[in-house]
Amino acid sequence: MTRARGWVGTYAALIRNAWLVDLQYRAAIGLWLLWGITEPAIALGIWWAIASGGPVGGYARADFARYFFALMLVNQLTIAWDSWYLDRWIREGDLNFRLARPLNPIHESIADNIAYKARSGGVILVLWLLVALVWPAVRLSFDPARWALTALAVLLAGAMRFFISFTTGLLAFWTTRASAVMELHAGLALFLAGRVAPLSLLPPALASVAGVLWFRGMISFPVELLTGAVHGASQIQRGFAEQMVWLGLWFAAYRLAWSRGVRQYGAVGG
Amino acid sequence: MTEVRLPTFRVQRSAFRILAALWRLNFAEELQYRANFVASLVGTAFWIATALLTLALFFRHTTLLGGWSYWEVVVLLGVFNALTGVIEAVLRPGIGQLASEVRSGRLDLVLSRPVDAQAFVSFRKLDVWRLTDVALGLGLAGYALARLGQMPSALQLAAFVVALASAAVVVYAIWVALMSLAFWFVAVENLSVLFDAVYEGARYPVSAYPGALRFLFVYLLPIAWTTTIPASALTGRLRPEIGLVAVAVAVVAFALARVLWSQALKRYTGVSG
Repeated sequence: MTRARGWVGTYAALIRNAWLVDLQYRAAIGLWLLWGITEPAIALGIWWAIASGGPVGGYARADFARYFFALMLVNQLTIAWDSWYLDRWIREGDLNFRLARPLNPIHESIADNIAYKARSGGVILVLWLLVALVWPAVRLSFDPARWALTALAVLLAGAMRFFISFTTGLLAFWTTRASAVMELHAGLALFLAGRVAPLSLLPPALASVAGVLWFRGMISFPVELLTGAVHGASQIQRGFAEQMVWLGLWFAAYRLAWSRGVRQYGAVGG
Repeated sequence: MTEVRLPTFRVQRSAFRILAALWRLNFAEELQYRANFVASLVGTAFWIATALLTLALFFRHTTLLGGWSYWEVVVLLGVFNALTGVIEAVLRPGIGQLASEVRSGRLDLVLSRPVDAQAFVSFRKLDVWRLTDVALGLGLAGYALARLGQMPSALQLAAFVVALASAAVVVYAIWVALMSLAFWFVAVENLSVLFDAVYEGARYPVSAYPGALRFLFVYLLPIAWTTTIPASALTGRLRPEIGLVAVAVAVVAFALARVLWSQALKRYTGVSG
């Protein structure tokens, strides 16, 4: 009981700290947000133009609009920059003082993510509401149960993307090109996670790859849960099951990379 | 650039000697990191592959994008990649560092030199490996032209070269203007992200964008033209005379950026300020 209270106190302090640091850099965060919005906005623009003659693969113009607005929100809430940070911490030695603390550095990263996403996700949510006032195409039907399920899926997707990013960053223990691996992953995710198009519009071979790997659970599943493209108990259960399996596997990968890497890192320092 | 004779800007002959010396040093330095050449090449090839795949995805569901056929858009992608090469090789390592230098006061070291500060900041560093992007981009455009089955005439080719050079000048002017903002907004260290965000819009022809987006990318932040105009000159969508208009736009953009830069520099207070 006291242990749990200790963790709550630790996280409250870490999140408060991260929130205040972000507050200093709010203009910079605004620019990152803008950058995160343009990619889906451009994809929406192109699909909007393509769908001028009628629905494309079952997606009418308004469906695309809802899809990409949901994508902006989900992507912002699940995006993780940690591989980039870890790559720098390990190469430049900023990891050293973090290792000296009586707390695994991953908790600082988790707290950073919570603070950052509470702010930036909130901004996107407000933006979406404002746009929805004037543009009916992006309005969702009122469905609290679906929204609650989406919140859970977003949480799982965020956790998974965090461990993917963190683990990839840990590759910096062994190679100087960890960030290149992350970029490769981001390039694949462009298609396989549904960032340029809903997965159902991909060539079937590509879509099946997305279904076998972890990419669908990263973005596509929560997005389509929110828009209603994923419906019915069996589809929803399958999506959650996939997310949990891949989250477990990436968590295991993180544990492995961390314990091996830190040992190796100490060896270099000594 | 030498033709531009603004009262505050005159290129001295020594400037070219300094530039040559700087780039020679840079080149010698980069030769130490030859693995970066391979990494850059692989990175660009991967980027082109994702861009082509994205395009193929769009064209699975349509035959024209803003009135442009698949291979015409590939020509444009080639132009986009060539311009990206110029940005990554010269602009980002040079003037792209300005925001953090203004913030930390390291700009003092630049201003104390007996050379034009804007020219030095802009062209001091050449990330030579990224110039492969220019070659790969132009190669892609050439291949797409061959697939279109149209060889541009000498006049069209000349118009393309002029339009592309003008586009590079316009992009440069945008970077100067953007980075000059650092003198006002000292706390914002990632100003270049603003460029990256909007530049994404230049990946497709301007005619492909509907309503609000077109207003944003085409009129409010006219970056999209920097790829559409050269590609149009190459495929013959626009008459070669467009080259003259492009030069005029480039001259105006350059002059405006120069004025903004000199205004911005007055606000710099250095380390002690």
